[in-house]
Amino acid sequence: MHSFKTPDKIKNSYSSRICQIADERKKGKKVVGTFCLFVPDEIIFAAGADRVILCGGKNETIPIAEQYLPRNICPLVKSSFGSLVNDGSSDVKSCSHFSMVDMVIAENTCDSKKKMYELLGNYIPTYVIDLPQRPDSPEALKYFLSELEKFKSAMEELTGNRVTKDRLREEIKSSNETRKLLHSLYDMRKKDPAPINGTEILKLLQRQYFLSPGEFKEHIRNLIKEVEESEPEENHRPRILISGCPMSGGNSKVPEIIEDRGGMIVAEESCTGTRSFWDPVDEDKEPMLALAERYIKIPCSCMSPNDRRVDNNLELAEEFDVDGVVYYTLQFCHGYNIEKHKVQQALKKAGIPMLFIETDYSGSDVEQIKLRVDAFMEMLS
Amino acid sequence: MITIGIDAGSATTKAVLVNGESNIIKSIRPTAFDFVSAADDACEDVLEMSGIDRKDVKHIYSTGYGRNSIKFADKSISEITAHTKGVHHLYPEVRGIIDIGGQDCKVISVTDGRVMDFIMNDKCAAGTGKFLEYTARALEVPIDRLGDVALSSENPAEITSMCTVFAESEVISLRAKGFSKEDIAAGLVRSIARRVAVMARQMGLQENVAFVGGVAKNTGIKAALEKELGISLYVLPEPQITGALGAALYAQEKHQ
Ligand code: SF4
Ligand code: SF4
Repeated sequence: MHSFKTPDKIKNSYSSRICQIADERKKGKKVVGTFCLFVPDEIIFAAGADRVILCGGKNETIPIAEQYLPRNICPLVKSSFGSLVNDGSSDVKSCSHFSMVDMVIAENTCDSKKKMYELLGNYIPTYVIDLPQRPDSPEALKYFLSELEKFKSAMEELTGNRVTKDRLREEIKSSNETRKLLHSLYDMRKKDPAPINGTEILKLLQRQYFLSPGEFKEHIRNLIKEVEESEPEENHRPRILISGCPMSGGNSKVPEIIEDRGGMIVAEESCTGTRSFWDPVDEDKEPMLALAERYIKIPCSCMSPNDRRVDNNLELAEEFDVDGVVYYTLQFCHGYNIEKHKVQQALKKAGIPMLFIETDYSGSDVEQIKLRVDAFMEMLS
Repeated sequence: MITIGIDAGSATTKAVLVNGESNIIKSIRPTAFDFVSAADDACEDVLEMSGIDRKDVKHIYSTGYGRNSIKFADKSISEITAHTKGVHHLYPEVRGIIDIGGQDCKVISVTDGRVMDFIMNDKCAAGTGKFLEYTARALEVPIDRLGDVALSSENPAEITSMCTVFAESEVISLRAKGFSKEDIAAGLVRSIARRVAVMARQMGLQENVAFVGGVAKNTGIKAALEKELGISLYVLPEPQITGALGAALYAQEKHQ
């Protein structure tokens, strides 16, 4: 497989981005931290603020969190909380992003996150956007729109800037450009063999919420160019769609094992994947309404019913011509774990094999996962 | 073509030499602490027994827990594929495999000797040989007699705990309450059978199901599982070598 330069460059851009944020803050810019795709970036940027994502993907901060939180909740929530509220009692460093944010913009999604945000409020101002749980009901859109309006006011208050329709339109256009660029990158993955490893793409997507939108676009453009200029690979490898829980930065265990054992991830039905950019925002509509319509459609498992996610899996499997689906969930993530059954039934009907892997951030099950992935690859080849 | 399959298990290492389709020579050795030398020794055994020179062996495939450490093997394959191939060779009608080993439990759905789907239990000893081992110890019944002891019970005790550690203490408290060894043993066997049966039903296994792995030798478990699933299970005459055999056959197939 080729090694591309862009992923390395992105890795190295971390420290300069941290300096950039620190500088901006000195000049009075506000920075918010988010945890979820339901929080529209466009509103944050239109208010003249910057944002970073605070989702934890590392194992080391979990013991710190377990001093406050129950052990049996998902590692993402524990890792996030642990990196934020590190009380200095261990040598684990807290997340450097946390000290840079003026406010956390949270959202009512799964139970663990909701309740974690309540505790987080003791450490940092935390604004919670409420989400309607039944996105298909006629009232849901109206309610979500009103929540977004309130959120907009909160951002105006935080930054002291007015969020005008024009500013929103500009930001929607800019975000749509990013989405389009990502679509072109994903179109390249439809080739067989795909010209770039899924793990590389994942690492790019994990960083999309840390880099500034401008810098991120630049990196995708460069990567697209690099991929276009690369020599195509010869051998077919089983084409895999990975579906399920988010894979936050630091957590790429399962994709790495899949590709290490001969598979090729060609798409991710995940918040660190297609869910983050697939649908554009309608540029012709009233901007707040267009945002509400786009964001309410995110097929997160905290929504009910959530058949949209089942359909998405089938569509992606077909569009990317996959040989199999790896359904990946984090331990104690009830939403995605329970939804497994529906997705599995639908895939079975469509004749697409599926492997289920439930894991956490530790390395203790690496051998077991390798064995399953090996067997799955042998089954597909 | 001559191929060798090596199953590097955590307790024993098995080697099977296949010459053509049918000529099969096997060796079983304890693994001790060294996968590689156990594999090497088992390999030498089958060569010696068959009088074949190592350089005439076309391919060596490894499988099992230590499959990736056998560097002299050409390729490693998963136990799931290997056992399926091996079982299919010995029992061509096979449509499903239940494999209860010491560390894990696997249920495989098979069509024409190919893996169609499989599930394995997670990071947990429930539903594995370890569960039986620990709970049998709490009951002070030798593990290989647990099944027989269980068969003589008429009122199995209810073991409700899913977790091995808690099941162990449940056994102790049932004993304190005066339950007989037979009834507790039957409860244990039933609880493992229920757990495995859930997996087997998830896979939709119905008939021509083979029961392999160390626990398959336990008649009590077999009976409990059959009752739970309402089918009769086929236990292979040589359940220990199916992995190594499957690996050797896989090599035959790949290099035809
Ligand atoms: S999985 Fe759901 S809660 Fe998590 S980031 Fe995605 S949309 Fe938000
Ligand atoms: S949706 Fe699942 S993985 Fe995401 S935060 Fe909630 S429990 Fe954790």
